[in-house]
Amino acid sequence: MSLSATTAPPPAASPEQAPRKPRLAHRLARFDLKASPYLYIAPFFIIFGIFGLYPIIRTVWMSLHNWNLIAPDRRSFIGLQNYVDLLSDDYFWNAVRNTVGIFLLATIPQILLALFLANTLNRGLRWRTFFRMAILVPNVTSVAAVGIVFGTLFQRDFGVINWVLSLISVDAIDWRNTTWGSWTAISVMVDWRWTGYNALIFLAAMQAIPRDLYESAAIDGASRWRQLWSITLPMIRPTLIFVVIISTIGGLQLFTEPLIFSGDSLGGNLRQFQTVAMYMFEKGIETTTTAGYGAAVAGMLFLMIIVASVLNFLLIRKSVR
Amino acid sequence: MSVTKRRLRQAAAVALVAVTALGAAAACGEAKPEAGAKPDKLIVDTFGEFGYEDLVKQYETANNIKIELRKTGDLGDYRNKLVRYLATGKGAGDVVALEEGIINEFKLNPANWVDLGQYASAGKSGEYLSWKWELGKTTDGKVIGFPTDVGSLAACYRRDLFEQAGMPFERDAVSASWPTWDKFIEVGLQYKAKTGKGMVDSLTSVTNAVLFQHTGDLFYDKDDNLYNPAVKPADRKPTDLIAANSPAVKAAWDTSVKIHNAGIAAKTATWSPEWSAGFKQGTFAVTMCPSWMLGIVKANSGDANSGKWDVAAVPGGSGNWGGSWLAVPAQSKYQSEAAKLADFLTNATSQVTAFKKSGPLPTNKTALASTDFTGYTNPYFNNAPTAKVFGESVKNIQPVHLGPRHGSVKEKAFEAALNALMSGQLNADEAWAKFLNDVPSQGAF
Amino acid sequence: MTSVSQRPSGSVGLLVPPPLSMARESAPRRLWHASPLTYFALVVAVLFSIYPLYYMFIIATRSLDTINDVPPPSTPGSAFGDNFQRVLEADAANFWQGMINSVIVASAVTVSVVLFGTLAGFAFAKLRFRGRNALLLATLITMMVPTQLGLIPLWDMMNTIGWYGNILAVIVPFMVSAFGVFMMRQYAAQAVSDELIEAARVDGCSTLRIYWNVVLPALRPAAAVLGLLTFMEQWNSFLWPYAILTPENPTVQVSLAFLSYAYYIDYSLVFAATAVATLPLVLVFIVFGRQIIGGIMEGAVKA
Repeated sequence: MSLSATTAPPPAASPEQAPRKPRLAHRLARFDLKASPYLYIAPFFIIFGIFGLYPIIRTVWMSLHNWNLIAPDRRSFIGLQNYVDLLSDDYFWNAVRNTVGIFLLATIPQILLALFLANTLNRGLRWRTFFRMAILVPNVTSVAAVGIVFGTLFQRDFGVINWVLSLISVDAIDWRNTTWGSWTAISVMVDWRWTGYNALIFLAAMQAIPRDLYESAAIDGASRWRQLWSITLPMIRPTLIFVVIISTIGGLQLFTEPLIFSGDSLGGNLRQFQTVAMYMFEKGIETTTTAGYGAAVAGMLFLMIIVASVLNFLLIRKSVR
Repeated sequence: MSVTKRRLRQAAAVALVAVTALGAAAACGEAKPEAGAKPDKLIVDTFGEFGYEDLVKQYETANNIKIELRKTGDLGDYRNKLVRYLATGKGAGDVVALEEGIINEFKLNPANWVDLGQYASAGKSGEYLSWKWELGKTTDGKVIGFPTDVGSLAACYRRDLFEQAGMPFERDAVSASWPTWDKFIEVGLQYKAKTGKGMVDSLTSVTNAVLFQHTGDLFYDKDDNLYNPAVKPADRKPTDLIAANSPAVKAAWDTSVKIHNAGIAAKTATWSPEWSAGFKQGTFAVTMCPSWMLGIVKANSGDANSGKWDVAAVPGGSGNWGGSWLAVPAQSKYQSEAAKLADFLTNATSQVTAFKKSGPLPTNKTALASTDFTGYTNPYFNNAPTAKVFGESVKNIQPVHLGPRHGSVKEKAFEAALNALMSGQLNADEAWAKFLNDVPSQGAF
Repeated sequence: MTSVSQRPSGSVGLLVPPPLSMARESAPRRLWHASPLTYFALVVAVLFSIYPLYYMFIIATRSLDTINDVPPPSTPGSAFGDNFQRVLEADAANFWQGMINSVIVASAVTVSVVLFGTLAGFAFAKLRFRGRNALLLATLITMMVPTQLGLIPLWDMMNTIGWYGNILAVIVPFMVSAFGVFMMRQYAAQAVSDELIEAARVDGCSTLRIYWNVVLPALRPAAAVLGLLTFMEQWNSFLWPYAILTPENPTVQVSLAFLSYAYYIDYSLVFAATAVATLPLVLVFIVFGRQIIGGIMEGAVKA
């Protein structure tokens, strides 16, 4: 992306060009020219400021308090105590572990699959639009619907997936009550919804690669696998990293799929799939007396996201230079 | 009971109902001239199955009013939403059901509730089991809930599956086969040997039964302490928890562990999707039935399985699991109309109607005594004399003190640990440790 | 982010010098030829994509007692009418109200995002003002801010101003989108000609007139895509509406969640509702799929 200036607008109409304009109109035109850009971008910054930025800052403020969500008289400043407690809170670390684990389990196969699909779609295909639409259609489905449908597919006793597994003599898997089972089920929901979308993003990047690069490589005798490795991947690297960043930010905030899968914010008997965002919801919204603690969970999550983003950003700079 | 006495009571009940109905009609007539006092509709919030569908229709036609029944499957979810509605002063129904595990928490803030005492029909306070009525009051004597039901206990079992397993399947024989929980395990082992399946649905099903077959503190003491008050806060260990020293909790836990070790549980966690589906599929043959559970068993099993379930005595004597009150949140715009509806839904005839529909056992003494109730047999449950089974044990129920967040501790700490044990995620010692570990955070209020 | 078309990275440069060879003519064709294996892989992918939706429609049309059958049902039944009737009778979840609210919310947000996006995009792309680049960078950075983390205070705030349970609470915070601003800025930079703007100015048009008469028509294709993407996102939005709305006045997704909690026993009811909630978007997608895909792919290259 380039932030460099595009062609500047012309200077305001000079008196010679509009000799009969009265002075007032002239002033208005000048004001228009000066002020309207700010007026046009103002709604974005105002609304985002109030409903996006301010709540995040306030989260930090709340996290320094013992905060009762519904009784204003039961709030007190306690400094960093919530964070101190959080560091020795097993359930918080459990949530961090689950979040990172599910993130990895979902994202790695998702990106590999999306790359594979993009590479497959990047050929002379019949019914091209059909294929593209068909792999994108899961993305149109709401998370709530995904949770409901997959929750049924992943049932232990009468679920379709266990039925299919039984055909190849695999015993029924208790998807909800095992760590790996639940992580897998949630990852499948996430991947089902996002793999096609990411494949299209990759496809767009792949189509921007000049084809003669491949032609010459083919003439050099490079195998298709080798072409993928030494042409496609390096060329789409910025996109790849972009997708990884977006997946990281989304993955660390994972909430709805496990919530619906679990039916509550605990994420299983042993909280084996409770994510950090669910823990935040449990402490901050469901348990009204511990909103400050919930805010501290949000604060820590924010920190995790910043760290992950900065790491990614450094990677981008490195890759682009 | 002699025939004359029963007649008298019946007559009294009829008279009472007539008076109530007249009272309601009169009040309605009075309210009419006031513009805007007539609500467009009243919302009733319940969880599980309360059996109010027909009653509500009846009330709608009689009073020319629209009533909406909002049901939530899961009590924990129901409670969380209600907390938020009360906190924000918006969203709660005009009449809301409060279960015994959560009512004490809501009593902590009496300002949220309408004092129903002023709206109660004449003599209402004396009509109910006295302990039940008392529990619906706050410490300062405000009536916040009209009693609905008690969860008097029995055991629901599949007579067809018992028969196929070559075991006694008539209800008296079944009742006789498991006077104690140890005998229950023996029956379970027999069933397993014949069918290869678990007999009882889940460990928590059993736990909930055992928990109330003992007296004494459960998770809190009488003063709502979670820890032994003699121990200084700084020195508190998990073993100082009231829950760690409660004989009832211990008994419930040990029984569950025994059942788990015997392998007679079908491992379908109560309220899970597998559990709901299991009723139809015959995944298990027994579930513990507080009377309100009858409606749930029926809804889950479907019409196709009518007559296959039956009701026997619960092992280990009687007990109580659940039971509720109807309250009117102060945020309701139509407090008096809502109170009248709550009054109607808890009166003697309504309680009998609800019982016939979905099983919640009356707490109204007139209802309990009426022949309409006592003579009732439930066609879905192979004509089991459910009124007799449940009604007889209701007199033995001793009120147990439940702390403010009893429901939360029970579901999120106690039952979660047992479910983890059942699914093999933890062994018994680990599960017990996990339970004690979770009590303080779930029980804090 | 970085434009993909902009620059090849270092390692590729080494491969570039193209040596000539006899195979030159046929290589490209072979290279991009789709083998039966390619089609096989794609068909498998399509089946995985479609099956859960297909399953949803099957269950939605089946009566309750066939749902736990083994093997699972694979053809539609005829009970959809019955099932959906029960959805409507379940007045606790206010399904119709949810559908109507969702249409209102998604439409209002879409109009607003497109309006403010095109306005700001036009300003960033075509108008000169102090701090422009810094502000554009700030816009971009806000895309990285995980606003979900402000959930608790936002909830507190809405409750304070009395918007708990009010659909304004799910409209107003989403009336602008950094993505929208940026997408419109990128498109305006190339699609709106400076000459036209200049000519309009000479004619004495105010900036607002220029926006309305010159810029907006030129942005229409991109604005339509932004609108579609926004509408879909809002229709499907769940977490925030779930936290702030009540079953009395839900959006369709919230209504679905309440249905699935209240009628967890009655899968055909829940699935019928889910199917009806999903159908509008699937139809929109079938009609406008080409544009949506184009939008996503172009956005990817430009972002």
